[in-house]
Amino acid sequence: MTLVRYIHPRTTTLAPAFSRTPWLGLESDINRLFETALGDFNSPVFEHRFPVDLYEDKDNNYVRAELPGLTREDINIEMVEGYLTINGDRKVTDDDGKVVETISLSRSISIPEAIVADKITAAFEHGILTVTLPKREEVKPKKVTIAIN
Amino acid sequence: MTFLQSIVPGLSRPAQPAKVETDSKLRPVLNLREDEHGYNLTVFLPGVPKENLEITDHDGRLTIAGRRAWTQPKEWTALYRETSRANFELVLHHEGDIDVEKINAELKDGRLHLMLPKAEAVKPRKIAIN
Repeated sequence: MTLVRYIHPRTTTLAPAFSRTPWLGLESDINRLFETALGDFNSPVFEHRFPVDLYEDKDNNYVRAELPGLTREDINIEMVEGYLTINGDRKVTDDDGKVVETISLSRSISIPEAIVADKITAAFEHGILTVTLPKREEVKPKKVTIAIN
Repeated sequence: MTFLQSIVPGLSRPAQPAKVETDSKLRPVLNLREDEHGYNLTVFLPGVPKENLEITDHDGRLTIAGRRAWTQPKEWTALYRETSRANFELVLHHEGDIDVEKINAELKDGRLHLMLPKAEAVKPRKIAIN
């Protein structure tokens, strides 16, 4: 099942009746479908979800996540069975610095390649988290000499 | 052709040039709160260091422009991307009701806090009766 976000059909209802053609409604419907499908990627901070990028080079996989307003202590990273999970708490403070609201953020990213889990490192700078995931060395073919009795 | 255009209005529309991401500006997510002293503005600017942030006020237009510091290294291949590379720009209009000289800005971990104090002239005032 897919969930389609409801958007009030203002284009179709407000268009004057005389200029309406059977295509106009279809066109706005198509636009609406594109907006619901692609809209979220354009907004930098979507509630409870944050944008992530996945990169690779020959040695590592890299995950970059936009987490503005968080501190290092608010972020928790876990690697379980090929999935990297990033949890974070965005604290909303009032004028005195008192925490009035905590918003929990979470994302899981499937890492396509085998990773050396205990060598994962992470850096956090200017609200961007960069996780470096070293690729596992390919099992090298071993040469075994067998003595003949 | 004209008949086709009359039933499909999109056909008569001029073709739009493809959007170039590096030139386009992204309006950052913000939070604005008002109290009796002024306005508390929180702007999320991920990836923008202090030296790449410019806040200007001109003719009642408060402009916040932030450039992202990071560029993708040559060896890196993107497998999956959700973030935008566009720089941030936010323009807020005010009608001189802000004391521009006393604006206080603080940027930490990609979150900008701006305290915009209200000008003395617009603050509520008690008038003494003789």
